[in-house]
Amino acid sequence: MDIAYQGEHLIPGHLGQFFIILAFGSALFSTISYYFATTNTNNFDNSWLWMGRLGYYVNAVSVLGVGACLFYIIYNHLFEYHYAWSHSSRTLPVYYIVSSFWDGQEGSFWLWAFWQAVLGNILIWKAKSWEKPVMTVICLAQTLLTSFLLGVEIFGTRVGSSPFILLRQALEAPIFSQPDYLSFIKDGQGLNPLLQNYWMIIHPPILFLGFASMVVPFSYAIAGLWQKRYKDWMKPALSYSLFAVMVLGTGVVMGSRWAYESLNFGGFWAWDPVENAAFIPWLTLVGAVHVMIVYKNTGHAYFTATFLTLISFVLVLYASFLTRSGVLGDTSVHSFTDAGLYGHLVVDVVVFLVLAVTVIAWRWKQLPISKKEEETYSREFWMFVGAIFLALSCLQLIVVTSIPVWNAIFKTHVAPPTNPVTLYNVFQAGFAAVITLLTGITQFLKYKKTDITRFFITSVIYLVFAALITGLVVYLTGVYKLQMVFVLVMFGSVYSILANVKVFADAIKGKVKLVGSAVAHIGFGLMMIGALISAGTKTVISQNANGDFGDDFAKVGNPKENIMLYKYEPVKMGDYTVTYYGDSVSAPNHYFKVDYKKIDASGKVIEEFTLKPNSQANPKMGLVSSPDTKHYLFHDLYTHVSMAPQEAFATDEGHDQENDDANYNPPIAHEMSVGDTIPYRDGYIILESLDRHPHIENIPLGANDAAVGAKLTIVSHGNIYGAEPVYLLQGKNVFDFARKVDDAGLKLRFTKIIPEKGKVEISVYMQPESKRPYIVMRAINFPYINLLWSGTIIMIIGFLLSIFRRNKELKTV
Amino acid sequence: MKKSSIFGIVVIAIAIAIIICTYGSASSYGTFTDAQKTSGELHIIGHLDKQKDLYYNAQKDANYFSFYMRDTLGKECKVVYIGTKPEDFEKSDKIVLTGKMDGGEFHASHILLKCPSKYTQDKVDVDTKKASI
Repeated sequence: MDIAYQGEHLIPGHLGQFFIILAFGSALFSTISYYFATTNTNNFDNSWLWMGRLGYYVNAVSVLGVGACLFYIIYNHLFEYHYAWSHSSRTLPVYYIVSSFWDGQEGSFWLWAFWQAVLGNILIWKAKSWEKPVMTVICLAQTLLTSFLLGVEIFGTRVGSSPFILLRQALEAPIFSQPDYLSFIKDGQGLNPLLQNYWMIIHPPILFLGFASMVVPFSYAIAGLWQKRYKDWMKPALSYSLFAVMVLGTGVVMGSRWAYESLNFGGFWAWDPVENAAFIPWLTLVGAVHVMIVYKNTGHAYFTATFLTLISFVLVLYASFLTRSGVLGDTSVHSFTDAGLYGHLVVDVVVFLVLAVTVIAWRWKQLPISKKEEETYSREFWMFVGAIFLALSCLQLIVVTSIPVWNAIFKTHVAPPTNPVTLYNVFQAGFAAVITLLTGITQFLKYKKTDITRFFITSVIYLVFAALITGLVVYLTGVYKLQMVFVLVMFGSVYSILANVKVFADAIKGKVKLVGSAVAHIGFGLMMIGALISAGTKTVISQNANGDFGDDFAKVGNPKENIMLYKYEPVKMGDYTVTYYGDSVSAPNHYFKVDYKKIDASGKVIEEFTLKPNSQANPKMGLVSSPDTKHYLFHDLYTHVSMAPQEAFATDEGHDQENDDANYNPPIAHEMSVGDTIPYRDGYIILESLDRHPHIENIPLGANDAAVGAKLTIVSHGNIYGAEPVYLLQGKNVFDFARKVDDAGLKLRFTKIIPEKGKVEISVYMQPESKRPYIVMRAINFPYINLLWSGTIIMIIGFLLSIFRRNKELKTV
Repeated sequence: MKKSSIFGIVVIAIAIAIIICTYGSASSYGTFTDAQKTSGELHIIGHLDKQKDLYYNAQKDANYFSFYMRDTLGKECKVVYIGTKPEDFEKSDKIVLTGKMDGGEFHASHILLKCPSKYTQDKVDVDTKKASI
């Protein structure tokens, strides 16, 4: 029986679904047209080409249409749509609506398709004689990509997952049998709080632009082999590869910056499968860029260049399989759960892998593979070695990250290493040491043939210098306490920076075109040094015991890293005195204010600042904490609340007088005269004076009424507070007005006047230890982390300069 | 012998080393009974025994957390973790522990929680309640 549902807005969904089908259909149409345009031998017949272009334009417009419909739905809080309901809420600020696009799988597929549509249009405009074959491959990729959004049943199986599915179609609940179910759905589930960070507005688009642009060099490689233009394809592909490497690299580092600022594992890189998945194709494409340059200059390494270019894109697809299929299961917190796309994702990887393998096998005999050996003292040979080492480092990442995949294939049940971070660190450091050394040494070599004596003299001089600097840096920063392999990375990076600074200096004097690679290598070296020092010698300063480094680098036990702070009670932590002194709530975030003070020997405060780590009680994910970090030029102080009692989140409303007393220990009455002092747990209380005309709110005093206030001074942990509880005699009735000093955990009452003794009675209510608010927090010092970020920026500038140079070459040739 | 062949052999050797190292460092999924038999670390999948007490008292020791977990074979064991209680621990439906046995207690070095609420939030709890009234 059909139910006539009320209040649903079905038009945007139908329209969006129409655009999805159109996007898929036009991409498929475009693929076929471009294929025939490429194979068509009649040069005067451009009809296939025009149809291919038309198809791609329609595809681009439809993809935009899909985005517009989805945005409309989220923006207008149409919770009858599952996507809006599960990824947004009414309280979500407008600028985070874009973030909810990538909170779900469908939205991020859309983002990918969007960039691919943009890139395709650029290629139609720019690729000239390459357009037909290159666009054939790109259209094929676009067809597969848009098929993930279909959400249509074909022969009984659902293909893809549409963002326009309705809530009542996605879920089963009795409520959906009511026609007015929508009136009960007041709000959506909200955006994952971890995505509510400004980096999350910019990081996913950049990352997906990086992923999407990997398809371009792949398409050029396929096109080159297909059209037997074996040598030509690398020139345009080189520029696009540099672009892809630059953007993907930026995206990955932005992701780690986001992790550093809003996740609480205490670092910027955790070798999580999601991170590895983005890093793996970057490594192979960086390798590809280098061997492409080798081939361009010397004619060597043709196969390696082609292979690395092709495999990079296949690895992008493999990465999306890893993170989206749910195959990672028990090994990652981050993996998306399977949205029914497992098989579909496998098909996507297999299609492009088979395409690459087939094309290579088909043209194998004709590939311009040089039979001659490279000279040992030639730049090309060592660049080639470097590229192979990049590929090996990638292999290690793939083999370990894919353990769940091996389990699925071989029906085994092997668990990941118990300490994967150490394993990755050691292995990757080994490769990084070799690679950084090579980026230095190759600068002293020339293509084809080098003057050996001169090479040895210069490179050894630089090696000695690098060794001296490394020794100094390693000693000063404490890196020498780590395993030898990390010292070697430091050495390699320093050497690489020195060598490339020399190239840079020469380049400024004349050989301007070499500037790009020198700058990129310097940036990379700085990144390595920054990452190594900050991750390797980070110190947990909140830890009670020794100050040794974390166990990911050196082998130490399981140190107690968390410290507990009672509210208002200063605790000495490392060089700082820290005090948890307040909270501020800005829904849905709860900020814990922690005061940091640095005090010198004479007791003078040299430095003081407040950090506000926060926790968010989120209906979808429970309690989610984010750190707060104090940034200095040479180090960062990172603070994160690992635990706070539930009461901290309770609102202070609605407890009356009697209940309130339950929050305190039984009162202790003290008889005092003016000037007396009484001690209590956290300090002492002084009765300064009695006040004949105290202020009492809302109670006008009559002629016969008498009111007395007791002016009290409370000194607690170096802080001074004032309070004036009041005693009131109104007719025959006695009242008293208690005063609370929340900061000191006290409630004070003026309970009696004892005229015969000339004394008054003050009752002191103290908060019991267990009711006192506290937080448990962890603080980490990250030295020289700015080298990592600034190195990244320098590397990006280097890539940009290289792209300009290669583009210039393209035009002149 | 050609230089490229030597290099090829080196590359293959490194590749093999990677695979062996991965295999060697790979741990295994096991049960508490397995953990008692070995001295090495292993992974144990199970679920929280909600009948028994979780112990975490920040005021006594902010870095000590203990609970009881039942492994896939139903054997129960006390688990000790040096650190704070993970947020929303009670709501977890599946736990993956990494660690080793120490006496009668399992000392976890790492806890991975699989919360039903975290990524598969497809429940219309609140709304259905309202609707039924």
